[in-house]
Amino acid sequence: MEFGTSGMLNEDGIHVDMDRLKKGEVNLGTSIMAINFKDGVILGADSRTTTGAYIANRVTDKLTQVHDTIWCCRSGSAADTQAVADIVHYQLGMYATANNRPPTTQTAAAMFQELCYENKDRLSAGLIIAGWDERHGGQVYSIPLGGSLHKQSYAIGGSGSTYIYGYCDSNWREGMDEEAAVKFVKGALREAIKWDGSSGGVIRMVVLTQKGANRHLYLPDTDYAVRHQ
Amino acid sequence: MFRNNYDNDSVTFSPQGRIFQVEYASEAVKQGSVVVGIVSKTHAVLVALKRNAEELSSYQKKVIAIDEHLGLALAGLASDARVLSNFMKQQSLSSRLTYGRAIPVERLVSSIGDRAQTNTQHYGKRPYGVGLLVAGVDETGPHLFEFQPSGMTQEMAACAIGARSQMARTYLERNLEKFGACGREELVVHGLKALKESLAQDKELTVENCSVGVVGLGKGGKGLEGFKLFDGQEVKQWVDLVAEGAEEKEGEGEDEGMEVDS
Amino acid sequence: MCLSALNPNTRAIVPGAPKVQQTTELQRPLQIPIHPQLLTLRTSQPTLEHHGTGYDLTNSVFSPDGRNFQVEYAVKAVENGGTSIGIRCKDGVVLAVEKIITSKLLKAGANKRIATIDRHVGAVSSGLVPDGRHFVSRARDEAASWRSTYKTPITTKDLASRMGGYLQAYTLYSSVRPFGITAIVAGWDSELELPVDGQVGSGPSIGSGGKVEGMTFGGPGLYMIEPSGMYWGYYGAATGKGRQTAKAELEKLDLAALKLSLQDGVKEAAKIIYVAHADNKDKEFELEMTWISNLDGPTKGRHQEVPKDILEEAENLAKKYLEGEDDEETKDDDKPAEGDKMEE
Repeated sequence: MEFGTSGMLNEDGIHVDMDRLKKGEVNLGTSIMAINFKDGVILGADSRTTTGAYIANRVTDKLTQVHDTIWCCRSGSAADTQAVADIVHYQLGMYATANNRPPTTQTAAAMFQELCYENKDRLSAGLIIAGWDERHGGQVYSIPLGGSLHKQSYAIGGSGSTYIYGYCDSNWREGMDEEAAVKFVKGALREAIKWDGSSGGVIRMVVLTQKGANRHLYLPDTDYAVRHQ
Repeated sequence: MFRNNYDNDSVTFSPQGRIFQVEYASEAVKQGSVVVGIVSKTHAVLVALKRNAEELSSYQKKVIAIDEHLGLALAGLASDARVLSNFMKQQSLSSRLTYGRAIPVERLVSSIGDRAQTNTQHYGKRPYGVGLLVAGVDETGPHLFEFQPSGMTQEMAACAIGARSQMARTYLERNLEKFGACGREELVVHGLKALKESLAQDKELTVENCSVGVVGLGKGGKGLEGFKLFDGQEVKQWVDLVAEGAEEKEGEGEDEGMEVDS
Repeated sequence: MCLSALNPNTRAIVPGAPKVQQTTELQRPLQIPIHPQLLTLRTSQPTLEHHGTGYDLTNSVFSPDGRNFQVEYAVKAVENGGTSIGIRCKDGVVLAVEKIITSKLLKAGANKRIATIDRHVGAVSSGLVPDGRHFVSRARDEAASWRSTYKTPITTKDLASRMGGYLQAYTLYSSVRPFGITAIVAGWDSELELPVDGQVGSGPSIGSGGKVEGMTFGGPGLYMIEPSGMYWGYYGAATGKGRQTAKAELEKLDLAALKLSLQDGVKEAAKIIYVAHADNKDKEFELEMTWISNLDGPTKGRHQEVPKDILEEAENLAKKYLEGEDDEETKDDDKPAEGDKMEE
């Protein structure tokens, strides 16, 4: 069949076809995550983009800014998630100017969810929204394939996430300081990259706190040990 | 041609903040023949005086059933009332379809109020030229509402609108205290008596010129006694009770009581 | 800035308007001869009133000195309506309205004039009652549309802004007339964290990290929207026939200090409506009051009617106060302020 069967139940009535990409469509076969920590949130992602077995981009940036301190991690179709993030980026900008105050992470999450749910039959997008604002501090929301919305302590997503449920469960602590939090994200993504064939490349992170957004970059050359600017 | 510069349309305020076109529309209500409504703890009744164009012609329709639980009486432009009553029928039917229950009377009355308000704020529209009394029963009991061309809707204990209705209102005000405890028969009789007050000198109530609408709670205050319209011979029982002779016999004692009251 | 520019009185304070330009702006219209076409717009009949230039017959038309008369006339409709007030207290907001009894045949206690817009917002208006219903219906739509877009309740301020925009639009076209009401909108914006409607889960068990210490959010909101579409936030708002008296009473309360409790606010509101009605004694009236408390208070952040016993207590105090004031006046006309202290 040329196309995936659009996320519906298979003939056996049990299996759901999660691979809803058209033939040749660029996939973010991915490992993404976002976590809460003492001062805010951290988003993290690998950088591999694939078209089948071919690595279309080895240094992709899957962490996308939609407002000053509201970002998202994208997984699924590169085209779909970019389009959705672009729309929300515009809407949040409008919100900020129209209401004369920055949007909260909730506002962003609501907008993402509306788009993902209303267009669930046409999209292949698994998103993690993470943001910081004065009132609520750091928050993490996950929007998986169907368009539901989950508020979580931390969220993992993409094909690589299947390999790190155990790692995250046993290493997770609430209220970590920044150093421990970065170490947790890096450790988890290293495992995901190690086991998942569709994940790889560099590790990118964004730390969102009262001080604003701060980017991290770790290269495989040094086994992700050194932070590059 | 016009009385002043401010009364050409319903989108112009006068310097005093009045909208003359809306006020003139209320005058149309006063041209219509009188209708009376009264509500008690168990029932709501509508009583209307019908006119005929000439001796041999038929009489107007003054009372309209909307749904099983409510109906209305009109004074003014009958064609406007038909538009509104059709809308009300649609609304109450759609409530039954969507929610599986009868529409609350206040909700229905507000919906025509809102519609009428729109006609007073947009150029090219005119206010409705009709006043309505809406009687119905819902989960909170029997109700009576008045609707005016301005879009104003009010819940009333009793009400009369139309030509010479002031006389009927005076009767209602004097007997207001009694209505709450009335059963359906007494309520209709009070309605007819109020109606009679508003009759022109040479006129009297007949089976031809009276319409009566009754709705109420069922026996023992439970369930519904659906809205029923009475015309012609069906109103004879009540018209006879308030006829000239009968009235005087039972009327006198009451009149004295009323004097003491006021 | 656009909204305030509508009101000729606020022109002087429009920021960024240089003084020189201002004078030319104000003088120029006087130099322009009245356009003959406008004069014959509706009628060639000469009118005797001072308004009779033809400029006051159509909405959206400026007079040579920059006024929209139809909006000013709409304000006149407001000034004839029953008094409405709102008081912003430290732990909630009160709305109260004087309902003039126009007929003995009205059902007592029915015909509510204060409406709930959303569960945390209420509104009342003075002026044309059907226009007030139109306002309420639109405000409910705005609140609902905000909820469906942002999955969170609208703030009182945002609602006031939306409704200000809506009313302003009714001053722009000759095909409509302005609203004949001034509306008071009151609400309590939740002081807690706001979830997204329908979200699953609640994040870290120890709460989110990185919140800014010592900041407070939400709280009481009180706004008044005029027929021009102009709106301001208020500590205490009054409109309708008795607004002058009511404003004088509100000013005595030092509401800006935000010390008045909701419980006392209810009593003050009842008192103010009674005092404002005293100038209009020949007509009977009903007092209708609603309130919105904070989340720990009696209404838990919802807009509700003030319970019967509290309403009655407040009305009794108000009546007593008025009697006291009458005595006071016969004794010494100069000290009416003493009376209100006695009631505190």
